[in-house]
Amino acid sequence: MNMLEIKNLRAGIGDTEILTGLSLSVKPGEVHAIMGPNGSGKSTLALVIAGHEDYEVYEGTVEFLGKNLLDLEPEERAREGIFLGFQYPVEIPGVNNAYLLKAAVNAKRKHEGLGEIDAFEFLQIARETMAMLDMDPSFLNRGVNEGFSGGEKKRNEILQMAVLKPRLAILDETDSGLDIDALKAVANGINALRDPERSIVLVTHYQRLLDYVEPDFVHVLSQGKIVRSGDKSLALQLEERGYDWVRQAASA
Amino acid sequence: MSAISLEQGLLEAAVTALPPDALSAVREAAVASFAANGFPTTRHEDWKYTNLSAAAALSNTWLQDKPAQNEAQAVAIDTEIPEQIDAHWITIINGMVDPDSLSNLDSLIDNGITVSRLTDGVDEGSIIVDDPMSAFNAALLQDGLYIKVADDSTLDKPIGLLLIDDGSVAVTQVRIVIEVGENAKLRIVECPLSAGGDKQFSNSVTQVVLSDSGELDFVRIQQRQKHHLSVNRFAARLKRNSVLNYNNFEFGGELARNDIVADIVGEGASVNLLGLYLAGGRQHIDNHTRVDHRVGPAKSTEEYRGILNGRARCVFNGKAIVHAGADGTDASQSNHNLLLSDQAEIDTKPELEIYADDVKCSHGATVGQLDKSALFYLRSRGLDKDQATQALTRAFASAILSKLAIDECHEYLVSAVDRQLDALIDEE
Repeated sequence: MNMLEIKNLRAGIGDTEILTGLSLSVKPGEVHAIMGPNGSGKSTLALVIAGHEDYEVYEGTVEFLGKNLLDLEPEERAREGIFLGFQYPVEIPGVNNAYLLKAAVNAKRKHEGLGEIDAFEFLQIARETMAMLDMDPSFLNRGVNEGFSGGEKKRNEILQMAVLKPRLAILDETDSGLDIDALKAVANGINALRDPERSIVLVTHYQRLLDYVEPDFVHVLSQGKIVRSGDKSLALQLEERGYDWVRQAASA
Repeated sequence: MSAISLEQGLLEAAVTALPPDALSAVREAAVASFAANGFPTTRHEDWKYTNLSAAAALSNTWLQDKPAQNEAQAVAIDTEIPEQIDAHWITIINGMVDPDSLSNLDSLIDNGITVSRLTDGVDEGSIIVDDPMSAFNAALLQDGLYIKVADDSTLDKPIGLLLIDDGSVAVTQVRIVIEVGENAKLRIVECPLSAGGDKQFSNSVTQVVLSDSGELDFVRIQQRQKHHLSVNRFAARLKRNSVLNYNNFEFGGELARNDIVADIVGEGASVNLLGLYLAGGRQHIDNHTRVDHRVGPAKSTEEYRGILNGRARCVFNGKAIVHAGADGTDASQSNHNLLLSDQAEIDTKPELEIYADDVKCSHGATVGQLDKSALFYLRSRGLDKDQATQALTRAFASAILSKLAIDECHEYLVSAVDRQLDALIDEE
């Protein structure tokens, strides 16, 4: 069974159609990169999969492990094992980072019929994961993303992902705004999660993250649909020839 | 809408019928002064949003039956507050001080603290009447509490006041008189509660004088029941270098009106007002604050926050008046509101009146809804909508809780706020 099966997805905000008939299959264990110019619908795809209420689905289906995803609330999708790494993680002053992380873990455990996580065990997992991501443990006691730099916010997303261990991770522009050290730390975090039972979709504008996280497939999104798919060499070609090349090819 | 007013004849007859005691003269003088104005109506600017018709109607009915002398009697009210907040507790039932709870504090006299009942005797002119509702309070006053802290004295823990309206008396008057001596410090936690399912009305006045370098921390946690109406006035006079930290948490009642008044008459004084109101259903909560800067330099800060759901209606009016010559005044105030429903309403009005030249003043008010992107972010991590709303509203409230004046009630308040927020969010 496919991890993610999108067929002829048409979606947008109000009357503005952004995804114009997108299809995509992701099998367990695969890493897919979705690339495309600004405005091609990359972030919309990520937000529709996560269940953002601003987006309307006009047509098509999205299945996750054979289940219709579009019927589920955002929190139900999360508990089923979908994780969205935000392009712009939200700052939430006054809500403790550790609180969110623990509440998220417990929401998932409850869904799986498990009891709440032991406080000591939770702290140990959180601290180990932070060490891997080169994050200071003090970030646990701060407000969610409050006053974090761009790189710190992205690391925080990866921290949440690593602790939650989703089955499908959609990472939206996780590489944007990162310096080289942060990029490596984030890539380490992603690679550590590669697993035959887990799929990862990297949504990115540039090729550079793909130097560190090697994708199995690369897709090019243009005007709301996938216009070209290939292996990692497609990303290199794109880098060399620019998005106009694909656009022309698509309209030809 | 024709406002129901209190009938003066009924008030006079009721006051005459009360047996003579130490407060007789206070009552008689107040009846006369009440006659001039009666209950304030919504035509009065300060009472524009808060209608006392129901309180007046209830009072008329009650006065008709000629209230008898109140007796403080032990009531069964289920509260864990005295166990959860470490303080010297005094119980005031329907305005009458419970003598047993008072005798527990006899030993505090060694610490320079005097606590007594107003029925034990009051000095002439010591019961202040400075607005219609304090006149109504004094006209029907049968008891009250007097707390005095001698110069240079301080207490190991706060004094706790359990103010209970047990439902047996429809209309109650509470009067608390506080004097803080020079360089003395007092902390008070006041917890108004009510029992019984009938409509009741409480009219309370707390009057405070802070001598030079005196300090008062005062935390009020109002959690009365559904059908309770209240008007509460807290008025403090601040002398040189004195400090007032006043926090009020308003969670309960059908109608709660607070007038918080600070009169700065000494240089170097400092007033910090902090408040949180959580209202749902058809609750009406009105906080009116007024700080008079009569001399400078002096400082006042004010921060009120509210979370409203259902058809709740809240009012914030914060007035700072910098009188002529009060140079060096530093006054700031803010009011922030979170509306969880389309039908909740907040009327917020920060006001500054400045008649001095060298002053620093700021004010601001906001009204908003829950941040949608924050809500989605939390839900995308698996928290359900209620849980996410809880987290965001709690974060909003924590800005007030983090500045609480009395540590001893912090833990209790955090859980009380959580409980109240849960109930508010469930309402949807």
